[in-house]
Amino acid sequence: MKKTLLTAYRQRALLCMALPAIILIIMFNYVPLYGIIVAFKNFDFSLGIGGSQWNGLENFRYLVGMGNKTWRILRNTMGYWALNTLTGMACNLILALAINECRKKYFTKVTHTIMIFPTFISFVAVTFMVEALLKTNGGLINQILAMFGKAPVSWYRESKYWPFILTIVNLWKGTGYGCILYVSALAGMDTEIFEAAEIDGASRFQQIWHISIPQLMALISIKLIMAVGSIMHSNTGLYYLVTKNQVLLHPTVQTIDAYVFDSLRGTGELSSKFGIQAAITFFQMIIGSTLVIITNAIVNKIEPANALF
Amino acid sequence: MAENTKRKKSKAKVEGVNGRLFKPQPVLMFNLLLFTIVCLVPMILVTIVSFSSKTSIAIKGFTFFPSGWSLDAYKFVFSKWDILVKAYGVSLYEALFGTALSMFLTTLFAYTISRKEFFLKKFLTTFMVITMLFSGGSVSSFIVNSNVYGLRNNLLILILPGCVSVFNAVVIRTFIQSNVPNELVEAARIDGAGETYIFFKIVLPLLVPVIASLGFMGAVTHWNEWQTAMLYLDNQNFRTLQLVLNSIENDIEQIRKLVETGQADATMIELSENLPTDACRMAFLLLTLGPVLVIYPFFQKYFMKGLTVGAVKG
Repeated sequence: MKKTLLTAYRQRALLCMALPAIILIIMFNYVPLYGIIVAFKNFDFSLGIGGSQWNGLENFRYLVGMGNKTWRILRNTMGYWALNTLTGMACNLILALAINECRKKYFTKVTHTIMIFPTFISFVAVTFMVEALLKTNGGLINQILAMFGKAPVSWYRESKYWPFILTIVNLWKGTGYGCILYVSALAGMDTEIFEAAEIDGASRFQQIWHISIPQLMALISIKLIMAVGSIMHSNTGLYYLVTKNQVLLHPTVQTIDAYVFDSLRGTGELSSKFGIQAAITFFQMIIGSTLVIITNAIVNKIEPANALF
Repeated sequence: MAENTKRKKSKAKVEGVNGRLFKPQPVLMFNLLLFTIVCLVPMILVTIVSFSSKTSIAIKGFTFFPSGWSLDAYKFVFSKWDILVKAYGVSLYEALFGTALSMFLTTLFAYTISRKEFFLKKFLTTFMVITMLFSGGSVSSFIVNSNVYGLRNNLLILILPGCVSVFNAVVIRTFIQSNVPNELVEAARIDGAGETYIFFKIVLPLLVPVIASLGFMGAVTHWNEWQTAMLYLDNQNFRTLQLVLNSIENDIEQIRKLVETGQADATMIELSENLPTDACRMAFLLLTLGPVLVIYPFFQKYFMKGLTVGAVKG
């Protein structure tokens, strides 16, 4: 004990440097972690977290009681997670390979720079860009449909199109940026192994399939482990703002985060029922953390080098 | 002479590489170009709509070829300069001050956990992993921030909660471990330099690439942030640009009401008569996008290298 105190005193400069960050992490990461007990309480703002009455699993029972709706939101969240993870990963890889294969380096540099830019557009702005394309009267897509003699579609009332629309928006926004990591990994690969394959008569596609992709596997597995943790999460901007939170679209677009955000704002179904909202986020966290720990353990068994911790 | 040989060498290298490149280059380039155009189209459309006249939008809708051009949208947006300046102020404060504070505290923190001899190193690693695995979630954070810390309608809410990102700390720590040789720090310590001197004069200058790339990402995230502002700030003076953009229709509606009730001045009446709502929104959208567009090319080289996913190991 005395020894620790002595080291602490000797390293007081380092301690002071770390202290502000430690305090902020405790304030905004650990205290909310304690605040999760609200999920087991009938939370009342005037009584505070500690003062509110416990109500056991009542909040969770309410969610189960919502039946179809709970199931629908869960299905949407996990469905979009799977869709976005798979399409995102595939498109990132394809674009990275394409950029790597292109001979005109100046051309790829300029085009890639432009492709990255949509990542930096806010979701509020994306909402209006999508609206300019999809508006029933005057939207670009409906104009093109009219050119081919087709009837205009009320995009914001037809929920069946939205899984496609949101996937496209997601790819449009994320692919250019998402492939950077793979591009730099590809550029850093040892050329000798490719030359050897070339001499052995391997075609370009065979080289990609048997050399490039296996070498990217470490990166892909890390990305996947990190993605697994967010299986219960979704981008509120995409599913709340871009869909304009239209009730008619909810069957196919409403995700957990959008639902909770709507309620937190005080416009959704569960507004001011903070206990139930907290129960939802508690569930999100438990599933996410469990999955990360399990996948990480599995990866640790198979290929310890690719594990996260 | 030296330059000449260098050029020859690099040319030879390129040819060597070319030998194993994908053959149908034009197809490849065409597809890359196609995706680039897809990325650009919405932005071009928005720009054109913002310069379209009201009648053109009413008749032809959103189109690349409007029947008439006008600057009314920009005139209107700039006539509301007080809203614009306030919103820019709040957003700039959030993006610049928020990012600067965040990068400063995170870098300090990352430096301490990169020191092998630091007695809290082990403890802090676990401390960080826990926050990566478990989080209170949005509802709990909302309750804590507004009920315990009283951050509702307080501008600190925009910068404090995400200030120290554990993920960024790990990336910076990994960068320090692989790019700042320990001997350098040891040598400075032997020469009698204090910990703060070592950090500011020796370590910090070497961290420019990683700070620039994480800082740019942080600033853009702050600039584009809308959820926190929407949840916590309902004071009209504290609206960020994104909030104003999101509710610009309400603002235009309010002006219409002012005109109808006869409370508006002459210029406002003239403006509101041929006010193109859609064009105004697009003009405002471009104004919120502007700063990002301007600084993007300067920071691009830093994040194009691709930050390695910092492993939590160690």
